[in-house]
Amino acid sequence: MAYWDSEFQRVRSPLLRYGLAVVSVAISTAAALLIQEYQFRDVELPVIVLVIGLVTWYAGTGPAVVAVLLSSLTFNYFFAEPLYTFYVSTRDIPYFLIFVLSAVVVASFSAVRRRIEENLRHARDRLQDELEWRQQRDAEIRKLNHELTLRAAELVAANKELESFAYSVSHDLRAPLRHLVGYSELLQKHASGSLDDKGQKYLQTILEAAKRMGNLIDDLLAFSRIGRVESRTSDVDLQQLVKEVASEVGQQAKERKISWKIGALPACHGDPSLLRLVVVNLVSNAVKFTGTRSLAAIEIGAVNGNADKIEIFVRDNGVGFEMQYVDKLFGVFQRLHRADEFEGTGIGLATVHRIIHRHGGTVRAEAALDRGATFYFTLPKAVNPAEMKARQP
Amino acid sequence: MSDLGRILVVEDDPRDVDLTLTALDEYKLANEVVVARDGTEALDYLYCREKFASRPKENPAVILLDLKLPKVNGLEVLQAIRSDERLKMIPVVVLTSSHEERDMMASYKLGVNAYVVKPVDFHEFVNAVKELGMFWAVINQPPPGSAKKVL
Repeated sequence: MAYWDSEFQRVRSPLLRYGLAVVSVAISTAAALLIQEYQFRDVELPVIVLVIGLVTWYAGTGPAVVAVLLSSLTFNYFFAEPLYTFYVSTRDIPYFLIFVLSAVVVASFSAVRRRIEENLRHARDRLQDELEWRQQRDAEIRKLNHELTLRAAELVAANKELESFAYSVSHDLRAPLRHLVGYSELLQKHASGSLDDKGQKYLQTILEAAKRMGNLIDDLLAFSRIGRVESRTSDVDLQQLVKEVASEVGQQAKERKISWKIGALPACHGDPSLLRLVVVNLVSNAVKFTGTRSLAAIEIGAVNGNADKIEIFVRDNGVGFEMQYVDKLFGVFQRLHRADEFEGTGIGLATVHRIIHRHGGTVRAEAALDRGATFYFTLPKAVNPAEMKARQP
Repeated sequence: MSDLGRILVVEDDPRDVDLTLTALDEYKLANEVVVARDGTEALDYLYCREKFASRPKENPAVILLDLKLPKVNGLEVLQAIRSDERLKMIPVVVLTSSHEERDMMASYKLGVNAYVVKPVDFHEFVNAVKELGMFWAVINQPPPGSAKKVL
């Protein structure tokens, strides 16, 4: 770099540049005279041309022109016949012209070289700037990466904490509950004779409350497990899945009159066991909330017209709900009906919401009070539907 | 149903011990039950040391093992049992509150014979413990060298 700089750095000050031209011409003339003194012949022209080249190189075009003018004068004066006058005889004009021309050619070559080198230098500077900019960017990226790593570590720690929280809930919250139920039952058995009807009813309420709490804890644990288990995704035949779930849920409500309508459902991509949970929850809800209807109508179908996702709906003619509460619908333990109307812990739709979100989809609901409800969810399309069909027996 | 195997219950919670014994008593299995209140005590019993130094050197017919125990936990007890030549054949049933898959996986990897989640519902709990006691202490033929009382 240092070599490059010293080699190609143009002399900056104009005084120095023009001074260099004058001094160089003087020195070259002196040198040419000296050489002539020692009887070497015809050296003056190359020496002067060489010097002009050097001046152009280090001092630029202006000083080069000056050097050419000066050296043509000195050449005329010292070397062209008649010597020691500025007189130019007609016979010397071609010789003189050739000298000037060759000086100009050398000067222009040097100038071109100089210009190319200037450009190179500019290019090099630009590259250096870019390099510095890139190094800065690299440093920034490294910093961001580092922050990201820290953040990931924090998240892992937070997740671990949550996991151990769920774990201790699973272990420690259930034990006292079991004792509550156990000893209440023992009390019921031992003291049923001495308790009046009211006392019996209180005991019964304690038992029911404890059992309900057990269900809540189990539901909550199952819900938290959705976030913690690793999902194993594959292409899923929704049609098959929905048919299976509908017949299962229908079995559990055999005494009810339900008209099922299952449309053509596309294949999707996701975790089969989690998606089954989604369908079970939505279909069970549809069965549950049509409980007051003499003929329940449940329809499951696909919404057309979505390019990169598939959208499925589950529609019922049940009690529905008021749309103003739709935002509360998917929250954990949120319920829009009283416990004595419809049983349940209020975790089903939260589970649906969580699973669909984990698959990168969305859930929404449309309903009107007493006029049924429709739940929509989107899922990624199957990656390779043909292959999935082939795998089926 | 000629003999009754000894049951070692490893359980730290006195109420659970109480409920377990109540359940076992329904089949008159409670007499042959030894209770260890933590993992250390369970290992002391199995190795006949400390306060169990003078007991007859027979293995229990089955161990009902809780996982969450003070000092030495259930999985550690299980590991100790399975890596000891003299104890490794004892049937071990994990009886725990934990639904967690990793507890189940860890127990089975260590060679547990059964994994039972304590039901919250008392009837189910009593039934589960009764059935367990019945099966392992009466129906099952324990490995040779187990404590049995001829009825």
